[in-house]
Amino acid sequence: MEILQLIQSNLLTPIILFFLFGIIAARIKSDLKIPEAISEFLPIYLLAAIGLHGGIEMRNTGFENMLIPMLVAIGLSLLMTLNHYQILRRLGKFNIFDSYALASTYGAVGAVTFSVGLSFLKNQGVTSEGYLAAILAVLEPVAFILAIFLTNMAVSKQIRQKKKSFTKGDASDLDMGIQETKTKLSQVLHESVTGKAIVILLGSIVIGYIIGESGFDSIKIVFDEMFTGAIVIFMIEMGIIAGQRLGDIKKVGIFLIAFAVIMPTFNGIVGVLVATVMGLSLGGSVMFGLLLASASFIAAPAVLRHAIPQANPSLYITSALGITFPYNIIVLLPIMFAVSTLVHGNGSIDLFNYIIKDWI
Amino acid sequence: MKLYTVKLLTITCEILAQKNIIEILNKHEINAYTTYEVDGNGARGIRGQGFKNEKNVKVEVILREEKLQDIVEEISRTMFANFAIIVYVSDVSVVRTEKF
Repeated sequence: MEILQLIQSNLLTPIILFFLFGIIAARIKSDLKIPEAISEFLPIYLLAAIGLHGGIEMRNTGFENMLIPMLVAIGLSLLMTLNHYQILRRLGKFNIFDSYALASTYGAVGAVTFSVGLSFLKNQGVTSEGYLAAILAVLEPVAFILAIFLTNMAVSKQIRQKKKSFTKGDASDLDMGIQETKTKLSQVLHESVTGKAIVILLGSIVIGYIIGESGFDSIKIVFDEMFTGAIVIFMIEMGIIAGQRLGDIKKVGIFLIAFAVIMPTFNGIVGVLVATVMGLSLGGSVMFGLLLASASFIAAPAVLRHAIPQANPSLYITSALGITFPYNIIVLLPIMFAVSTLVHGNGSIDLFNYIIKDWI
Repeated sequence: MKLYTVKLLTITCEILAQKNIIEILNKHEINAYTTYEVDGNGARGIRGQGFKNEKNVKVEVILREEKLQDIVEEISRTMFANFAIIVYVSDVSVVRTEKF
């Protein structure tokens, strides 16, 4: 029952209310729209704020203890991507392209989800390890690279088999396939590492590390106090976009709807538990779980449309944005928080007191 | 004024396909083109709402007929199946034929 209460209280935070408001605005076909320049600016702002905080934290705590969580996160992300693929391909009967595209969308991380998580923790007065921002940056391309590599291998294998049935096997075809895969992969790697998300995130981490707490004071008002407010504005936009896609949810099918809810729950709770075992704090474990639970919907289309164009984009965008994102921020975040509180043995999980207090 | 007839190739496609189009053009040694972001409706539904990734783009290229065939063929072969894309060709007249 307590978890239900947590979810209920979470529903009444400004972030979630504005998200739901955006959905309603889209459903009643309002012309409400966040100007394009602002909705492009906000993700950059959010990433800069995340990076700065991460950098400052890392200066305080040092980053030698980040290596193990980072490697574990990469390993888990790869394992989960493979696991998603098997489930989608075997149980969901999706074709190979859609399976890999969806598997990597759910194996990748969502920066917006991460921001919402940070603000959620801030509300609770709980902190998280700063190096999680660095893990967010490192994790961004990992799942895509794996999926693109495997897709290309599978395609060149198919081509080879087809050719074999016509002529006697020719080694040069195989070489060509591998060569092509290599160029495609190095392209993807280069694009994601130099892509704006990773560049701004890593840049801000470095700057945050250099300036430290004292240097941050002068920009605190923008990057700290305005953080939640900025997310709220972005949530209107996210709500509108998700609302416009609600009609498409029927098209993705019941299997994918279930997948989009069950997989993040499973991945997230595994993440919280693994993080706890590694010794992360209560808040850090929630964020670690959220990294693994979240699906990518801003980076994914840009990468996948180019690298796996055969996959149907409306499948992975609609499920990640229309189902998993709302589910993660409304339901799963409080659940993971409760699980993390429980396993950290902090006794009561009634940390939502602050809202109830306001009511009374 | 003397005018010379050349071809105008217009490609309207999803913005994430723009890179592929430009790559094909470059491969055929065409480095001059104009692009603009557009909205619209078509077989893949209303496009241009929401994220910038979901906008459409219009690419205009003026070129000589000799190159047109290969380029259109390559675009048809590699992109028609997977992307929202419309391709059409028109006749246009230019003053400085040496530019194309």
